[in-house]
Amino acid sequence: MRGHHLQTVNLRKEYPGTVALDGVSVDFEGGMVHALIGKNGAGKSTLVKIFAGSVQPTSGTLLIDGAPVELRSPSDAFAKGIATVYQEMSLVPEMTVAENIFLGRWPRRKGLLRSMVNWRGIADAAQQVLDGMHVSLDLRRNVGELGMAQQQIVEIAKAMSFNPSVIMLDEPTSALARHETENLFALIRQLAAKGVAVIHITHRLQELKQVADTVTVLRDGHCIGSIGIDEATPETIAHMMFGGVTQAVRPADLQAGTEPVMRVRRLGQPGKFHGVNFDLRKGEVLGIAGMLGSGRTELLQAIFGVDPCASGEIVLDGKAIRPTTPAGMKALGLAFTPENRKEHGLVQELSTRANVCLASLDRITTAGFTTKARERAVVRPLMERLAVKVPDIEHAVASLSGGNQQKVVVAKWLNTEPRVILFDEPTRGIDVQAKQQIFQIMWDLSRQGISCVFVSSELEELVEVCHRILIMKHGTITGEVFPESISVEELVVRCMDA
Amino acid sequence: MTENPNAAGGASLVSTLAPLRKYVLEFVLLGVCLFLAFRAPGFFTRDNLLNVLLNVSMQGVIAFGMTMVIISGEIDLSVGSAVAFSGCITAWLTGFLAAHGLPLFLAIPAAVLVSLAAGFGIGCVTGFLRTRFNVPTFISTLAWMTVLKGASELITNGFPLTPFPQWYSYLGSGYLFGIPFPAIIFLAVFCAIQVLMSFTAFGRSIYAVGGNAEAARISGIKVGQVKILVMGTVAMLTALSGVMQSAQIMSGSATTGQGWELDVISAVIIGGTSLMGGAGTVWGTFIGVVFLGVLLNGMTLMNISEYWQHVVRGALILAAVLINLAPAQKK
Repeated sequence: MRGHHLQTVNLRKEYPGTVALDGVSVDFEGGMVHALIGKNGAGKSTLVKIFAGSVQPTSGTLLIDGAPVELRSPSDAFAKGIATVYQEMSLVPEMTVAENIFLGRWPRRKGLLRSMVNWRGIADAAQQVLDGMHVSLDLRRNVGELGMAQQQIVEIAKAMSFNPSVIMLDEPTSALARHETENLFALIRQLAAKGVAVIHITHRLQELKQVADTVTVLRDGHCIGSIGIDEATPETIAHMMFGGVTQAVRPADLQAGTEPVMRVRRLGQPGKFHGVNFDLRKGEVLGIAGMLGSGRTELLQAIFGVDPCASGEIVLDGKAIRPTTPAGMKALGLAFTPENRKEHGLVQELSTRANVCLASLDRITTAGFTTKARERAVVRPLMERLAVKVPDIEHAVASLSGGNQQKVVVAKWLNTEPRVILFDEPTRGIDVQAKQQIFQIMWDLSRQGISCVFVSSELEELVEVCHRILIMKHGTITGEVFPESISVEELVVRCMDA
Repeated sequence: MTENPNAAGGASLVSTLAPLRKYVLEFVLLGVCLFLAFRAPGFFTRDNLLNVLLNVSMQGVIAFGMTMVIISGEIDLSVGSAVAFSGCITAWLTGFLAAHGLPLFLAIPAAVLVSLAAGFGIGCVTGFLRTRFNVPTFISTLAWMTVLKGASELITNGFPLTPFPQWYSYLGSGYLFGIPFPAIIFLAVFCAIQVLMSFTAFGRSIYAVGGNAEAARISGIKVGQVKILVMGTVAMLTALSGVMQSAQIMSGSATTGQGWELDVISAVIIGGTSLMGGAGTVWGTFIGVVFLGVLLNGMTLMNISEYWQHVVRGALILAAVLINLAPAQKK
């Protein structure tokens, strides 16, 4: 049993105008599971890309089993024994488990038939890989018929077929339901037991205890430190991730009303969330804090009728209803900016003008008719109000930056004159300035008496922006805190501990 | 948009012409017309040009509906059989009502209305199957293609039905203000669909649904309703075309409209509509339809064999698709 070893010494990576990694020295020993955590933008993904060979460091050294190596390309990294399992699945649903494990590297027959695939060989080799992982899966089934958890296992088997000394798992649980993660963790531990160094990159801090041996924290491109799992209390981790962060505060003039505009009662969806109750007040910015996988996104989608919920109701104007369609909830004065703005928020090939008018066609048109001039008159003031940088509102919205696209989504909904806007991760993937502008928009809405529900993985954003924060854990609301009386670190701890 | 004042010299000719790229088809059509005016005997005469218009109008009416369908991300393969079906239903019902003592001037409008309604209904069923049961329209309209062909044969019992009086032929070959009546319908449908797609909430919803159905749904657009109405519209326009066709041949025949689905879809694609949905224009289809008509007419006038005409048309479809895809691939 080899004990493998991946080390970095003073790793530095510069991008034009920014330093993504600065003097990072980490040490990942074989036979253990190493969790790698940090906020978005902390440098995790840069480090992962360097290990995977898709990005080269500006300076510093990478050592495998004590010997310095240079990883020039992803295939180079594979050849040197580092395998990576990415968040996005790279499987062909119509092919069998065995074929997928050896995708593109199918064993061939010998002699004259060497251009033909050796099916027996594939089955045997795939079986060997699965046996090595102590996993039983039907090799002849099509991957498309498997659940997400099993597909994830095939993905890992594919990586293991390279016989790596280091395996990196990038957010392997992000697509899995809570109960599906246990098998995966058992498998991860199994891999470590074989002497492989497992690097587990995750946002789900609540999982650390279940799977990791050590926890390494990155912050602002620096390695803050590595600690054993026994020392990794929620307080320590929160401090390592957020310590020294100066907390911005929201403007003083913001007032939430007292009368509730929307009451959520006993809302539930099997396997996603259950028994969710809360009131949203007029002009309030209400945050929902929770780790990835706590059911936040599903909850917002259910409230807006994107995925109908199984139980519970929403009270608007004293009337209790169960949301069924987005069209219905829009008519009741709700709006929703989805987490995945590129795929769910906008029609990329349509113009900015068309996208802004998309949700409010019935308001803009007279007897079903509209003109460009009329729409421009509606769109232009919104673009100014939200400070959207758009060269030409007739150009396809796809050409805008992430921040501007997000503002277009918001503009689309402002056009419907909603009383409640549900924001699902509105700041994901946009720059600092655009983030601040999104916050300003929420505060402006609040001043106009429009209520916002704000879901974000960046807990410090919630503390900065919200009047009140609900804590969501394991699919239900477990508490309520006020930003005035809680620090980010304390909030992280509240979200993590069981 | 047509000229770039900053560009100068031969090196930047390409970039100067780049904005004109979207008018490629218009220029090619113009070029072909000029060529034919000099080389094809009798092309550039009033009668021949009206003849071209008449020839394209039956399929053209359907092509505008097909544009809506393809933009919405669907397809309708049943239009050929539906043309025959609509003509047969109209002929049969006219005969039936007349046999029961209804005067023809009442029986024919009634039969035409029923035929249009039947078309609309069939389209709506296709849309409903798509929405409710997720049956791809590629499959369901393939089924309709066979069903309607068979139904037409059943209605006519294999022989054309001829219950129509002489004045009925006006719908298929009459002239109004010196223009063939079907051509007037063709132009009217063009205007109507152009307005529908550009200036109505419904039209805008069609682009959104075809571009990104999930984003449209989350924006509160009733995606299913849009798809059902789009499929209904194309089927109704197909029925209208079938009625005009039956008036032109003065009978309801199960053999009309064969292979039209390919001609119609070709015209839409040549007109620049994306087969992926979400993008395309009614004007483009208009040009595509006229282009195909001019080309066939010109080749016939120049005595080019029908076999070559097929080859040219196929090559044209490929060329059009390549031109449309080129800018997208650069991104």
